Amino acid sequence: MKKNWLLLSVIFAVMFVLAACNNEGKEAAKTGDGNKEKPTQTETDATKFPMEITNEGDAIKGGTLKVALVTDTPFKGVFIPELSDDAYDSTILDYAKNEIFELDGDFQVKDTGIAKLEVDKDNKKAKITIQGDVKWSDGQPLTAEDLIYPYEIIGHPDYDGKRYDDDFQNIVGAKEYHDGKEKTISGIKKIDEKSIEITFKKVSPAIYSVGDGLWGYAAPKHQLESIPVKDALIASDAVRKNPVTLGAFKIDKIVNGESVQLVANEHYFKGKPKLDKVVIEVVPSSSIGEALKTGKYDIAEHYPTTQFDSIKDLSNITIASRPEMSYSYLGFKVGKYDKANRINIFDKKSKMNDVNLRQAIGYAMDIESVTEKFYQGLRVRANSLIPPVFASYYDGTLEGYHYDPEKAKELLDKAGYKDVDGDGIREDKDGKKFTIRLASMAGSDTDEAIVEYYRQNWKEVGLNVELTTGRLIEFNSFYDKVEADDPEIDMYMAAWKTGTNPSPVGLYGEGAEFNMSRYVSADLTKMLKDIDSEKSMDPKHRAEAFRKWQEYMSKTATTMPMYFRTELFPVNKRVKNFNVDYANETKSELQTIELTADAPVK
Amino acid sequence: MWKTIVRRVLLMIPQLFILSLFIFILAKQMPGDPFTGLITPETDPSRIEELRIKAGFYDPWYVQYYHWITNAFQGDFGRSYTYKIAVSTLIGERGLNTFWLSLLSAIFVYLIAIPLGVLAGRYQESFLDKSITLYSFISYAIPTFVLSLIFVYIFGYRLMWFPTSGTVDVGLESGTMEYYWNKIHHLLLPAITYAILGTTAIIQYLRSEIIDAKTQDYVKTARSKGIPMRKVYTRHIFRNSLLPIAAFLGFTITGLLGGSIFIETIFGFPGMGQLFINSIMSRDYSVITALVMLYGFLTLLGSLLSDIIMSIVDPRIRID
Repeated sequence: MKKNWLLLSVIFAVMFVLAACNNEGKEAAKTGDGNKEKPTQTETDATKFPMEITNEGDAIKGGTLKVALVTDTPFKGVFIPELSDDAYDSTILDYAKNEIFELDGDFQVKDTGIAKLEVDKDNKKAKITIQGDVKWSDGQPLTAEDLIYPYEIIGHPDYDGKRYDDDFQNIVGAKEYHDGKEKTISGIKKIDEKSIEITFKKVSPAIYSVGDGLWGYAAPKHQLESIPVKDALIASDAVRKNPVTLGAFKIDKIVNGESVQLVANEHYFKGKPKLDKVVIEVVPSSSIGEALKTGKYDIAEHYPTTQFDSIKDLSNITIASRPEMSYSYLGFKVGKYDKANRINIFDKKSKMNDVNLRQAIGYAMDIESVTEKFYQGLRVRANSLIPPVFASYYDGTLEGYHYDPEKAKELLDKAGYKDVDGDGIREDKDGKKFTIRLASMAGSDTDEAIVEYYRQNWKEVGLNVELTTGRLIEFNSFYDKVEADDPEIDMYMAAWKTGTNPSPVGLYGEGAEFNMSRYVSADLTKMLKDIDSEKSMDPKHRAEAFRKWQEYMSKTATTMPMYFRTELFPVNKRVKNFNVDYANETKSELQTIELTADAPVK
Repeated sequence: MWKTIVRRVLLMIPQLFILSLFIFILAKQMPGDPFTGLITPETDPSRIEELRIKAGFYDPWYVQYYHWITNAFQGDFGRSYTYKIAVSTLIGERGLNTFWLSLLSAIFVYLIAIPLGVLAGRYQESFLDKSITLYSFISYAIPTFVLSLIFVYIFGYRLMWFPTSGTVDVGLESGTMEYYWNKIHHLLLPAITYAILGTTAIIQYLRSEIIDAKTQDYVKTARSKGIPMRKVYTRHIFRNSLLPIAAFLGFTITGLLGGSIFIETIFGFPGMGQLFINSIMSRDYSVITALVMLYGFLTLLGSLLSDIIMSIVDPRIRID
């Protein structure tokens, strides 16, 4: 799971030009009063959309599933997971996937996939076994060699993708292989034709969700072996035109950047799919609503939630939804990153290091109204830094910071931020002028209105918040400034898309460069260690460790969760069933998908 | 004349060299780099740092420039950081799409604009002239994306006369007649949209040139010789009135590779306009520099071509 921030920002930039203003939203920004104490349930409550869709009718024989890939830029067309880092490519690959593991609702490997995972935690080993006779889409058998080959691609000295990382080097011998000292990765051994064994330097609970360096895909060695990894592989036809895959469908034809035609894979290990074909086409976000209305597509992938209005009343479409693996947050700068020693240094004397101040800022924000008016309930106020999709780890009981301006004022009074000169704006503890500088990213046209609304919220409790640079900041500059701990930034609004392993070490750890608030403490380090400790191999212990950490983060409020998001999947009524629940995804059972008519319902 | 052309071509070398220096330095001055977009909780910052070092981003600019310019001289413009293929392949692919689209729309522009311009000029102040003027004002004033959206909506989704996105259907066997017809079918709607938006200048130039020419002495001479009015228009006035259009022809030809971000975005058409904007947003340095160099070269070439064309169509002008 990766988020291509860039694509997002590109899409937003285009929408900035194309999308009409959200008048309702503007009103909310201007008035900013009314009964916000108890946010009312809106009629477009996202939770009313089911995760599973079932349509009545007899299935036709065969048929072509038409998938719209909603994006304003052509897809990249790198159809190999080891080298790809584009979200749209991986959506296309979902239909032909080379994934060897299947995950359950908690994103833990289960036994129904192509391969089985057995972890020997005492010896820090994992055994991967291919279950039964599995064949590639070209009819060749899947062997242990194909399980090893992806590691040899990623670890290769000439590999220039992002996946040769800390995690990967957790495999014994990976570094030596990458540095060219060894011909093979010593920690990976072929046991027999069907199974391999990998030895790690350490194992953590992450291994059960394909972390710790474990790789979740096979690569067709018989096809790729002869192609050098350096430059040639990524440009080769095997990757761009006729990839050999394991999934329910195989890639048949590609029009670069525009569309892909897939046909049923007769060798699929769960049986040949009932459909004949899947056609995936890029559809610009400006016309996707109209395209769905006129029955051009059965399913829209990457549907922009900002365009919810154009599909909410369509009679030929059912909308499925699921929580996104992401959260938006407000971060407070309370330290610096020491690049040389790769460590975050918490600065007790920093401007934002007052827990009451931070909490007051949170209580002053009317997030409830914003989610309702601007996001139509497709975002909700977040209470925790773990998205609810991780049901076993998410702490739903946390209060978080709901809108309560009186409490905010109280906290500020208590902390000593008082309005000394009577201009309605609070001064700092020493009675000097107090201005907080907020960095916020430029995106869609509503972003500006939302930020202005929050600034007004803060003003109401007496806090003067100015924008860093005086306006919203372009994506690249934003991360440049935030990562470099620009002194012009006191707090910043950003978002993270979490992977399937929600371990927060990479985002909040002592050495984590992405811990951009720079907050560290002995307690925090201990809690983070506990989450990935050996004890946490026991799911119960891990859940408890997660709970403690969430509570701690909520209390210290150095990173304040703002929204959880919802993903929408408009599905045409001729699709017999479609499930987007991670625990039970139709995408993992594509052989079962059926249609009830020859063409999508208009 | 040949001497002049050779001199102009030789002069392009230092011009392009200075341009390359500028764009190379400016591109690197932009905040962020191609790897900024890869940030996710799962990416390892130290790996990203390694990739930056590998890509040479920490070398002094003149070292990077030296590498780039020596490779560029051998026709190697590097690899796109975003698309991960050779820049020349990428630009070749997109450029070809854009070329056909622009060519078709240029043909439409002339097909629409020349008759309208001539008619408007000939029947000056008539109802027809006023209608044409109104049309050209509207087409000039309407924003590209508005007209594109309206056309996609009406002709694509409502009437279903044209495909709504892409350059060709995926299911077709390439090389067949059906395949080429399908490609043209995909081109038509964006090309017409593009053309309608681009007619104003030509209509108005042509109209005023014709009005101007009507009072010229050579027209009076022709008429007094008894040549029919129809012939005076086709033989005498028309040729002279086309001069200002011919002056732009060079730029029109080289402009065929420009592309339009709006048209391409709304019609889901992978072309040069999008490539250029996206490469800037994603800091795809190798693509940015290659495209700016290409456009710079085309502009210089366009002005040269225009001069040559002018000297051919207008014997009064000679370059030497």
